[in-house]
Amino acid sequence: MNDRVNARLLWQLTRDYRLVFSMAIVSMAVGYLFMFGPPLAGKLAIDVVEQGVDGADIPPWIHRIAEMLAFGSAPGLMTYMAIAAIGTVLMTMLAGMLLYVRGRCSAIASEGIIRRLRDRIFSHLEHLASSYHDKQDTGDLLQRCSSDMETVRVFLAGQVIEISRAILMLLVVLPILFWLDTDMAWLSLASMPILLVSAVIFFRRVKELFLEVDESEARMTTVLQENLTGIRVVRAFARQEFEIGKFGERNREFRDLNQKLIGLLGLYYGGSDLICLGQICLLLIVGATWTIEGHITVGTLFAFLTYESMIIWPIRHMGRVLTDSGKAIVSMGRIAEVLAEPMETQNETDPGKRLSGRVEFHHVGFGFDAHRPVLSDVSFTIGAGQTLAILGPPGAGKSTIAQLLMRLYDYTSGSILLDGHELSTLSRKFVRSQISIVLQEPFLYSASILGNLLVGRVDASFQEVVEATQEACIHESIERFPRGYDSLVGERGVTLSGGQRQRIALARALLKRPPILILDDALSAVDTDTESQILAALAKARNKQTTIIVAHRLSTVMHADKILVLNEGRIVQEGTHESLSQVDGIYRNLCEIQGAIQDQIESDLVRN
Amino acid sequence: MSDFFDDENFQDEFDEDSWRHGMNLDLWKRLLGYTLHYKKEVTILVTCAISVALSEVAFPLITKAVIDGIAQQGADLNLTLYGSLYAFFVVVIGISVGNFIWFGGKIRTNVAHDIRRDGFDNLQHLSFSYYDFRPVGWLMARMTSDIERLSNILAWGLLDLVWGATMMFGIAVAMLFMNVTLGLVVLSMIPVLAWLSLNFQRRILKSARQVRKTNSRITGSFNESIMGVRTTKAFVKEAENLNNFGSLTDDMYKASVLNRIQAALYLPLVLTLGSLASGLALVFGGLEILWGAITAGTLVAFLTYARHFFEPIQELANWFAEMQMAQASAERIISLIESEPAIQDSPEVRERMQALHADSVPARIAIDGHPDEIRQVTFENVGFKYDVGPQVLSGVDLTIEHGQNIAIVGSTGGGKTTLVNLLCRFYEPTEGRILLDGVDYRDRSLHWLQSNLGIVLQASHVFGGSIMENIRYGRLDATEDEILEASRRAGAHDFIMAMDDGYDTQVGEGGSKLSAGQKQLLSFARAILADPKILVMDEATSSVDTVTEQHIQKGLAELLKGRISVVIAHRLSTIRNADRIIVIEHGRMIESGNHAELMKVRGRYHKLYTQQSLTQFSREERTWVAV
Repeated sequence: MNDRVNARLLWQLTRDYRLVFSMAIVSMAVGYLFMFGPPLAGKLAIDVVEQGVDGADIPPWIHRIAEMLAFGSAPGLMTYMAIAAIGTVLMTMLAGMLLYVRGRCSAIASEGIIRRLRDRIFSHLEHLASSYHDKQDTGDLLQRCSSDMETVRVFLAGQVIEISRAILMLLVVLPILFWLDTDMAWLSLASMPILLVSAVIFFRRVKELFLEVDESEARMTTVLQENLTGIRVVRAFARQEFEIGKFGERNREFRDLNQKLIGLLGLYYGGSDLICLGQICLLLIVGATWTIEGHITVGTLFAFLTYESMIIWPIRHMGRVLTDSGKAIVSMGRIAEVLAEPMETQNETDPGKRLSGRVEFHHVGFGFDAHRPVLSDVSFTIGAGQTLAILGPPGAGKSTIAQLLMRLYDYTSGSILLDGHELSTLSRKFVRSQISIVLQEPFLYSASILGNLLVGRVDASFQEVVEATQEACIHESIERFPRGYDSLVGERGVTLSGGQRQRIALARALLKRPPILILDDALSAVDTDTESQILAALAKARNKQTTIIVAHRLSTVMHADKILVLNEGRIVQEGTHESLSQVDGIYRNLCEIQGAIQDQIESDLVRN
Repeated sequence: MSDFFDDENFQDEFDEDSWRHGMNLDLWKRLLGYTLHYKKEVTILVTCAISVALSEVAFPLITKAVIDGIAQQGADLNLTLYGSLYAFFVVVIGISVGNFIWFGGKIRTNVAHDIRRDGFDNLQHLSFSYYDFRPVGWLMARMTSDIERLSNILAWGLLDLVWGATMMFGIAVAMLFMNVTLGLVVLSMIPVLAWLSLNFQRRILKSARQVRKTNSRITGSFNESIMGVRTTKAFVKEAENLNNFGSLTDDMYKASVLNRIQAALYLPLVLTLGSLASGLALVFGGLEILWGAITAGTLVAFLTYARHFFEPIQELANWFAEMQMAQASAERIISLIESEPAIQDSPEVRERMQALHADSVPARIAIDGHPDEIRQVTFENVGFKYDVGPQVLSGVDLTIEHGQNIAIVGSTGGGKTTLVNLLCRFYEPTEGRILLDGVDYRDRSLHWLQSNLGIVLQASHVFGGSIMENIRYGRLDATEDEILEASRRAGAHDFIMAMDDGYDTQVGEGGSKLSAGQKQLLSFARAILADPKILVMDEATSSVDTVTEQHIQKGLAELLKGRISVVIAHRLSTIRNADRIIVIEHGRMIESGNHAELMKVRGRYHKLYTQQSLTQFSREERTWVAV
């Protein structure tokens, strides 16, 4: 990723806003022209006072205005003072209006560009391939979307304007200075190079300290957060004093680093104040000498003194602006990296009608790298409305089958047919709209419970929602929450147990009423009693809905139309409960172990 | 990620309107105590602020003297004098600015540090009822962004107040001294400017808050889109999410543009007011010059003052608005620091502990004067309810002898956790009492009881740091050998040694690099090391691999040996090996006895047990190892 690509991306994003942005810069330029007017008005007034109306070097056009104002009689001191006063106010007002236009335009442009960039990266995140999210660190990604974005925003909103302001200021003020007096102009620029160079060097240096302070703050926050989330453990071991000590150390470290940084900043600002004011002092003294010697007028001296204080502080600020701009370029690069990641393909066909739910796998293979296949040579068929159960040890590839069906990954060999359509030719959105999946650790949005359920089908009536939650055996639990279906999920609302989360996710999936339902170990945290109720409810939908169950309990899988036993990515057994329990193999072993347990419980009961 | 906790979502509702209620000066006075604690620094800061302000007042006067001098004395003017005078003030400002940044920063960071320290101290002693209604995020927001905001006001706000007041006063005096009429003319602009500034600053701060609020919602959205990407794909919610996000960025756009337009409007208005002051100075100055009352130098000084006068007013208005907005923060922080723990030692206990402290505690006597042992725990008709809400527990009678192991079973929400929390004195019974060797535990030291408790929770909390540090948490002065011994007995040694850095392995934030089973074993080791008189445990239900499961069962047996132990049990083995099983349903103890006795009753326990066994033994891992 190089700077040119980043710059091009930024340039693309400015489309539609370029005119507004230019308006901001132009109005700023003109605005500053007017800003430089009042000191000239002041110069006029002072020169008139010092040298008298006749002695002062008054530009002819002002003289003419003065004559007009004086109604033909010779204009007096007060006329010129009035001109200066009105000029000052008028020019400031004009400058103010233009500055307002600049502020408005730059706000519209920069916030608009950032809105576009945010929308774009969000949409990109939504459409990135699953494999990207698998390997990407969440915290890092989130940082790119939030703090890097903010850095770019500040750059667009502040630093771009700041830099153009400094450049414009120099472009506008330099000619005025040199027009007023060449020697004084050189003199007033004397300390600029030192100021600029020292600022840049200083901020380069403290950049690392800034980083250290940030990290130290993060460490302190972590201790705080760990303490608050683990407060029960702290109390359990009566470790309050220890924790206070631990936090105290981090708290002090943060303070001390901060003070180190502030000490340096104090040194810099104190030092640069010295340079800036020294420059003004130099100008005053030398200027005064030259005034005495008659090179320049008092008014010119006044104008220089005013201009100097107008340009010198922004120049001092430049060091900081330039370092911050450097950060913005890095941030832009990090955002561009995300945007450069390929999205999921989207150009496949959409049959446009509901599938019946027939699934065929023909010699399907899949792996992230060629040497370690996750699935190999998997073949099976489920008729529409049938139930398939998949068993197998952890890492056997059970979930991968579900993920291939959802087109979260694309199979690398063989063929998968949905109602006879090759899966890879169907659009992902269509495929996913035909399948509901419930995961072992389901994700719920931080919205109300009802809101989470409606994710299944947005236009569902409340009646339909309740039907789904009843099937999933969660309706009563929800009703018991203080705010029922309107309870919020998460820290500010109700805390849900694993089983409750699973059942809400199930209800959400059921609400969609899809042709194919996949339960990926989705009832692991639900007790057996509830589970059998849920399975009974699901059994009613038989023949209407193809169901794929990944599970471990015999009771869950034994009534399936077909059972697959998977091991190391291959199907090792296939059949029904009846057929599989007849033959020697993994499945029968399972039955025996679970049967033995059953026997033990029976004997427990008999013995007592 | 620390700015996540600058989370406006964790603000209270009343926050938004608080500034309408006006200022609560008492609150600020109490907080100012934190600043005034640093007497030396405050003195230097105030001195620097005053000298900067006065130097800034002095410069135009020198300029005036030079300009007038040129007109009156010409070449005879003593430029060296003025030059050195000016240079002197330059040096004063340079030194003062450096110092006030240094000392202001020092005060700010110290005040933040001190408030945070006091807040943390108090959080360590507040009862659990305090935490019940305050999510961790809410507390984090108080301890981070609120404190930063307040310490800024308490240091820089103070600085600007002194600087601004001195400067305004100095300029006013200088102007009135030079020329009363002209001075009054320029000063007449102050009320207008003050009114304008205050109004604008309020609006700007308010819209800035709206921007922050929306921004944290945007961050939340990004977080959800990343965490929930599979769910989004599975339900084909991309378009809808994008749509929702789009309206969020629209809100953000509107809020930020509004905020910046307000700022863009404010500055030109201030500038225009300033130019009006300059204009008036020119016109009235011209008249005065005609009447011979002032010189050109005075006019220059007035023009400069008219410009400078506006800075302190803007700053002060800004701080005043900020203080009004931060009022709510101040209230919350003060309440956090000053909250009294609902459960603490009674005055009698404290008295006894103090008396005992004088002549060091004899052996086998606890810090509160009672014997340092627990042979028996008795629940006498214990009941509990929260301040609001229904009765959670009632009529529990239970006696546990030394060496006994009690298993608690029952359905979720039945009151099992409450029972355990009462035993730990995280809450106190609202009815009945709990006795330790015949003494009501309210008559014992809270610290003593809790240092004799060992607690192992369902979601074992592990701190960031090394494995060694985590085990040592059980007993801080334990030797390395003792730690290894505890870890062996807990069955954690093997997995620890299998890790790259052994006991020095860093476990990551919240133990993120360990599996649930490993965390469990670690917390066993920690508890074994602590060797508590009473062990309380909430057994985890999460499934773990077979080897770990075996380790856990062995470690658990070690842990429960030779002490009073109370376990909210889920494992069959734990339940069956318990000396006594109690069944809690709907806040009442409905059955009590050992496994054989309870099975005979064929009641609730019988039903639970038969269900449970099915669930348990069909766990994937067991079955697959058996295969």
